[in-house]
This record gives sequence, C-alpha cells and structure tokens, in this order.
Amino acid sequence: MTDSRLRVAAVGYLNARPLYEGLDRDPASARLRLDCAVPSEVARRVAEDEADVALMPVAAAATIGDLRLVRGCAIASRGPVRSVVLVGDAPIDELDEIGVDLSSRTSVVLARLVLRARRRGGEPRLVGRAPREALEHVRGRTGALVIGDPALEVEGRHAHVVDLAQAWRELTGLPFVFAAWCGRPGALSGDDERLLERARALGLERRPAIAAEYAARTGLSASSLLSYLREAIAYELGDEERRGLERFYDEAARAGLLPPARVRFFDEDRKAPSPAPSLDGLLARAAEGKRLSAAEGERLGQEASLFDLGLAADAVRCRRHPDGVVTYIVDRNVNYTNVCTTSCRFCAFYRPLGHPEAWLLTREELGKKLQEVVDAGGVQILLQGGLHPELRIEWYEDLFRWMKREYGLGLHALSPEEILHVARLEGLSVHAVLERLRAAGLDSVPGGGAEILVDRVRRTIAKAKCTSDEWLGVMRVAHHMGLRSSATMMYGTVDTLRDRVNHLVKVRDLQDETRGFTAFFCWDFQHERGTRIEPGDNGTVLYLRQQALARILLDNIEHVGASWVTQGPEVGQVALRFGADDFGSVMFEENVVSSAGTTFGMNAGAMESRIRAAGFRAARRNVHYEWLTPPA
Amino acid sequence: MLEAIRSKVERGERLSFDDGVVLFRHPDVVEVGQLANLVRERLHGDRTYFNRNMRIETTNVCVASCLFCSFAKLEEGAPGARTMRVEEAWRELEARLDDPPSEIHVVNGLHPGLPFSYYEELLTGFKRIKPDVHLKCFTAVEIHFFAAHYGMTHREVLERLRRAGLDSLPGGGAEIFDPEVRTRISHDKATADEYLEVHRVAHGLGMPTNATMLYGHIETFEHRVDHLLRLRALQDETRGLQAFIPLAFHPDGNGMRSLPAPTAVDSLRTVAVSRLLLDNVPHLKAYWVSMTPEVAQIALRFGADDVDGTIVHETIYRAAGSRAPGALTAAQLVRLIQEAGRLPVERDTLYHVVREHPRAALPEAALKVRERKAAKHLEVLP
Repeated sequence: MTDSRLRVAAVGYLNARPLYEGLDRDPASARLRLDCAVPSEVARRVAEDEADVALMPVAAAATIGDLRLVRGCAIASRGPVRSVVLVGDAPIDELDEIGVDLSSRTSVVLARLVLRARRRGGEPRLVGRAPREALEHVRGRTGALVIGDPALEVEGRHAHVVDLAQAWRELTGLPFVFAAWCGRPGALSGDDERLLERARALGLERRPAIAAEYAARTGLSASSLLSYLREAIAYELGDEERRGLERFYDEAARAGLLPPARVRFFDEDRKAPSPAPSLDGLLARAAEGKRLSAAEGERLGQEASLFDLGLAADAVRCRRHPDGVVTYIVDRNVNYTNVCTTSCRFCAFYRPLGHPEAWLLTREELGKKLQEVVDAGGVQILLQGGLHPELRIEWYEDLFRWMKREYGLGLHALSPEEILHVARLEGLSVHAVLERLRAAGLDSVPGGGAEILVDRVRRTIAKAKCTSDEWLGVMRVAHHMGLRSSATMMYGTVDTLRDRVNHLVKVRDLQDETRGFTAFFCWDFQHERGTRIEPGDNGTVLYLRQQALARILLDNIEHVGASWVTQGPEVGQVALRFGADDFGSVMFEENVVSSAGTTFGMNAGAMESRIRAAGFRAARRNVHYEWLTPPA
Repeated sequence: MLEAIRSKVERGERLSFDDGVVLFRHPDVVEVGQLANLVRERLHGDRTYFNRNMRIETTNVCVASCLFCSFAKLEEGAPGARTMRVEEAWRELEARLDDPPSEIHVVNGLHPGLPFSYYEELLTGFKRIKPDVHLKCFTAVEIHFFAAHYGMTHREVLERLRRAGLDSLPGGGAEIFDPEVRTRISHDKATADEYLEVHRVAHGLGMPTNATMLYGHIETFEHRVDHLLRLRALQDETRGLQAFIPLAFHPDGNGMRSLPAPTAVDSLRTVAVSRLLLDNVPHLKAYWVSMTPEVAQIALRFGADDVDGTIVHETIYRAAGSRAPGALTAAQLVRLIQEAGRLPVERDTLYHVVREHPRAALPEAALKVRERKAAKHLEVLP
C-alpha cells in the first residue's frame, strides 16, 4: 500500500524546531509524515518531488522556482539574529578575504548583498571553507561567515562582528526571512496550512523546553538559547516579512546571485489562479545569460520551440565566446578494462570478473595505443574503465607514472565512480586517493558516470552506482584540490524533463561553490544489443533541445560540447549552432558507447571542415580549453 | 539582413532569386530554419507524412556517365553490372505481401539493350500481383531516354507506360539544371529543359510527379537557387509537382570522390531554403536515406513535412557510401516523427491519409508542443 500522507520535510536545526515540534500534539497530524534533514536535502526533496512541502531556506526556494509559501510561518529576524554573522579581527568592511560555507546559499547571498552595499559594490574574496575551518582561518584581514551553533558558540570572541539580519534591517528597514514552508503550487490544502499554523502556535509555547533540551545536549547556555528563540528569531511571515523577502529576492536577482523569484502564498492561488509569466520574456532573459530557476528551465524545455531554444543558447554561446571559435581536442579514449561490478542496465560494455570476454589491457597493448596518440599529435589520454575489484591503488599509481614517464601525455583519468571505488577498496578518503593519483600523474577528472544526478533515476538504471551526492562530492573534493573536471549527463532512460533540469541545477550549484567544471557534455542513452532498459525520451531533436537548455541553465560553466560520438558527426555539427563551442575529441576508439552499437569515426581534418561548414573557426585545445593552434 | 525576407515570408509574399542567395549565405542556419518552419507549419501544421514504399532498381546498366554516380555500370557484363529479369523484380513484391508496400518506386540505369516491353511487362506484373499498388517508376531522365531510344515522343512513352500501370513519376535525375554544371557532371543524359518537359507532359496527362536537386558537389548557391526557381516556374504552369526532395551528394566510389560530402548544416539549410523558395510545391521531403534518419528528424523542423517511406531496398545511395540503414519499418518512422515532436501521418503516394498516429508515444512526452493547425493549402492536379 502506498503511503498517501502529506510528505513534509524540515530543516532539523534548533531554530526550526518551534515551527513543527507542536505537530506531535495535534491528532490531525496523522495525515502527514515529517522528516528532518539538512537544508540542501530538504530542498532536494521538493525539487525531486519526494516531499510535498518543506521548511527550506529561501535561496533554495528561488533556485527551484515557482513555489508557494505558507502564510504566517517563517524563520525570520527583525533585528540581530545572532546565528548568522560575519566575524573578523579587523573591521568587517576592511577584510580582504572571508571564509564561507558555500552550501549555505541564503546566508552567503545575504552576506554578499550586505557587503556590496556597505562597500558600494566592492566585495572581499569569498573562499569556500567548512564552518569550523573557516573560524580557524580568522586572523588579520581574513574573516569568516559563521552560521548556526558555531555562531552562538563564538559570541563575544571576535573583535569585529556584523550580524547580517541586523545589517539587512539597517540597509532596508525590513525583516529578513531565512526559511519558510514551501511547496509546488497546489501541494497544500487549506486544512494542511491550518495544521502547520497550529503547529507553530504550539511550538512557540514549547520554546523553553526546546532550549533546555538543546542546552543539555550542546552545553550552550539555556537562557541564551531561549532568548535566541524568543527574541532573535521571529516566527512570522506577515506583510513586513513578505516585503523583506521580496526585497531580498529582488536584490539577489539584480546582482545575478539568484534567479528572480516572487513571493506567493498557497492561499492566494486558491483565490485566483497565478498568471504565467510570458514565455518570450523568459526566452529573452535566457538569451541574455541571466540565471534561471529550475522551474523556468523546465518551462523552456516544455514550451519553447526548438528554434527559440537554439537561438537563445546560441546567443549565450556567442556572448561567452564572441570570437566564433569552436575547439576540439586530439586525445584518445582508452578503456583499461571492461571488468565492472556495477551491472548498469544501460551499459553493454561491462563484463563481470572471470567472464570469458572480460579483459584488462596489458602495458604492451596500452603502450601501442598511447604511442599512436603521440604519433598523431595528441595531447591527452582519457582513461576510464570499470570498477575492477582486484586493481589496487598501487596499480593505478604505477600505471600513471609509467604513462607519464614514457609518453608524457595529459592524463584525464578515472570518473568519480572509479575514484570512489578505489577509495572504498583501500579504505582511504577520496581526498587521499586523489592526492596519491595526482602525485602519480593525474591531471584532471573526467565527468563520466554522472548519468542523471537524481537518485530515483540512478536506482533504476544503475543500482550499484554511487549516489548523486557522492558523485558531486568527489568532484567537490577534486575541485577544492585544484583539479579541474568536466561534467556530463546521460539522459533518455527513465528520466523526466524535471530530472534533467534538476541535474543541470545540481551541477550549477556545485560550480557556484567550486568553479572547477570546465565543460559540460550530454548525450542520450544508446539503446542497443546488450543493454537491458527501454529507451525513454530520445531523438536528435530532443538532443538539440537538451544541449541548448544546458547552455542556457549552466550560466557558470564556460564550455558546452557537442557529443558527436553519440549523435553522429552530422547531428554533432548541427549541435554547434545550438549552444556548443566545443566539438569534443577526434576518434581513435571508444568502447563503451560503441559496444552499444554506435560507431562513428572522424579525424582532425574532418572535424575542422565540419566546424567551418557550420560557420565557425576551428582550434585545437588542451584539457583546459587553451588553444593549441591558431583558430582557422 | 534577414529582416526583409522575414517580413515577406510572414506576409506570404514570393521570394526572389536574390532572397534565395541571401538565405543560402546567411550565417545562422537556425534563423533560416525558423523561417522555413513558419511556412511548413502554415502548410501542414505538425502533420508529417510517410508511406510504406519499396525501392526496386532492376538494372544498373547505364549509357550515361554521371560523375556523381556510384551505382551505374556502363555495360552489361561489366563487373557488378546486374539486370533483373522481370520475374525477379516481381518476386521482390511477392515476398512482401504479408506487409505490402502501397508504392513501388523504380529507378534504373539507362540500359541500351532492353526492349521497351521489358518496362511494360515489369509494371503490368506488379499490378497483376497487387492491383492497388501505386507505381512511381522511372525518372524523367529515363522517360527521355526511352523516347529517344525507342523512337517515341515523351507523351507516347508516358501513355504506353500508363497503360501498363504507371501512376506517377519520381523526381530523380534533376541534378543541377544550370547548363554549365550539368555538362560537367552529367553531359550525356536529358538536359534541364528535357527533364522539365517530361514533367510538363506528365502533368498534362494528369500524372503527378516529384522533383529533386542533387546538391553539395561543384554547384554554387546561385545554381541551387536557379534550380529551385525553374521548378517553381514549372509548378506555376502545371501544378503537377507533389513534393520536392533535396538530395545530398555522396562521394564514395564515383567520379567526384575527392569532394567532401555536404555537411548536415548544409543539408538543413537546403531543406529550409527549398521550402521558402518553392512556395507552390506542397510537400518537402527529408529523404532519410540521403541525410540519415537523425538529421531527417531535425529537418522536420527546418521545413520538411515528409520523411519518404520505408524504402526497404535502396542501392544507389548505399553504393555512394551512405551510412543510413537500408530500411526503416513503419513503426520506426512513426517513432522518428514522434521524437521530433510532430504528428505522424501515414499516406499513400498521392497524400491521401491512410492512418493518423498519435502525437507522442514516448513514456514522458518530452515536447509539450502546442497543436499547430495548417492554415493554407496547396492543390496538386485537381
């Protein structure tokens, strides 16, 4: 039997608890199921339709887009909030660098707006750091953005403190709303809303108990916590708070920090339907390269014509790459083994260990391939394989050193899945694995294995693979270490347009944090002999739409490549007019897609002539997208 | 630059020679496609046609020596030369009677040694096996060859073949009309005027035809525009052209093998400009054998409203190195059209509706396109 209860998700932090702790006293709450999680997870559940309503940070709500809010309930502040502060040993306005937890987007955006206003547009350098690490770095002209318990713990410890809610109040004369109950239009009935309102009333009465319990658990002062819950936080979403939130959305959109968002309550929809903004206006914003919400991306994917998407994506490409150059790389995709333990249903390439068709390339076979790359003027090897249960990290280290020593080619190697596999096998952290591999010669990380970064989809098509968060986590670590990577998406199995858009937004969110992705490539599932899943949304028109949509949504990724290996040289060429500025790699060989039946070949000359026939100049590049030949 | 043309297209005005050249030279193929799509949707909405047809090439012996051809072998007995007996050709149809084609499309070499009765018998036999099959056989170049070779007028050839069962003419053999180009690439077959004359005579007999253009070899954009405008002029006169089919030159194994094949961007542009210039020809085919099924899908948004048919057995493009599959099933064509967000309509050769298919059978309708209704209708041969 399916659970038909209302799915409610909420941030589990102290300051959120008064909004929902009263639910357990209300018999009507039997019709809902409440789960607590960290803010990003709470938002993800609404984005991926795993929760109907969630108490989530307002920046996350803007990123999802077109959500409705419950009137009356919020985590807001009308003055000092105490738990969101900038601290430093020097005056905050004189800091050169501020360590921030970039995943706390609402606070980061607020900090940036406040800092920009106080400095008349100037801004210190923001450096992503884990919360406690950020505090350890505070000295001289380096400060930190501190959020939550750590902020309460360090009260009074730093010479200079700016309370961001207080600063917002001074700047705008308005309260600041940090989080609210949000859901898709129509997700809540009037009864549901009243239930949440009653829970809030009950929860507010329980603040002393909540503070006492929390004090006992953390060692913080109960009276200080109670005054925090009573005075610092206002659990209101009235007209004043609404204006504060509207002002925040407005300023953040104007600064390009968030997609434009409106504040609309569930009850307003029940009175009058919400008018849909014009598609043309949305397309114009897309063409200007403005940040779009997931909901806006979805709307474009559903309603914009192929041409509208293509022209908007081309306009974005043109602004980013006004020289009209399309790059390509001479490298070789080498698969070192087809042994893999994941049994993905969309893959026709892998074999289990011990299978008669399982293989592992010898040094001799590898050497022959690498020499061919050197002879052809190639600059890099894209090395990927499977999750081989017997290859230890030393095997990879030896291999990398040998490859670097003998052939000197760039090493774009091991997708996040393989890195995680080695980390698990060795009982090492991802960071430690990457450090060792980098020392052995790893130059950059390919973005393969992303498939669709929505776990519902991944569980269906690739059960044994890492989760979306794990995939993104490996990339986060790699980027923080200074390793660059690409990002990919394989769609066209059980994924929906919403899944594909969520995938793009997850990549964009991480890119906001790390700036480590160089380029994005997508392709559709190649359905053939040996694959065990039916194709879903496919076709070349959808490919062009999908690639164009990626170019539009990924406003912080420099390059988008056309996947001619999967789409064929013809469609690959057409895709250059739909937002791509890179034509990928010449083809020596590729085994994974080709074992599913797709085989195309193209050498450098053929690539260049297709690039020119599409109206561009062609240039060879390296993995960092630096031109190795003058554009011609 | 495109603005003047855009407003002409929006007003439904005829485009000029210079407009055609501007469209071919416009840097952004997507903008050109968007204009062509406007016209396509005005004529056909989202409807996209296909049929169940069957290609048969009964002889590749040919007296002509076209530079672009990898199919014809000059003489009987030459390596690879092959002429089917009529019974063999009939057997191909008989073998498919469980899922019969509605149309047989015959294109042959210009064989100097066969009696005219060979062609008559061929057609008669097809009709005997399947009386309702539509016979779309022999290009204007072949008809012209028959007339010269067997000492008849175009009209006499067409009338005799019609008595034997011929229903319409395919569009092949047009190549490029410009005399200079035509002399260089196919000097020893029907001239442009002769090609057009055969179509004119056919139309006069009430027999509809298609027309083609072989692009992407040594011709210029001006030559393409000239070609299209000559067809437009014929159509103004006769209203007998049902469909125009741009054919991409393929270089493998022929006299122009050193030339690159036209790329997909050129193919889409040619589809689009053809749609825009041929304002009096109802249908424009994205011939998947020539442009691959993948590019044909995109072409359905660049002006084309038809993907031709199931084909089953094509050897001319195969010989020239086409990577397209030899045949597609009706189900594959339906899916191809659905994936392009269009409405598949199975037709017969004369564009009567056989069956309308649903818009999208995809598990998740990827494209929530608004229903587009045709607002204009072009008649062929009342």
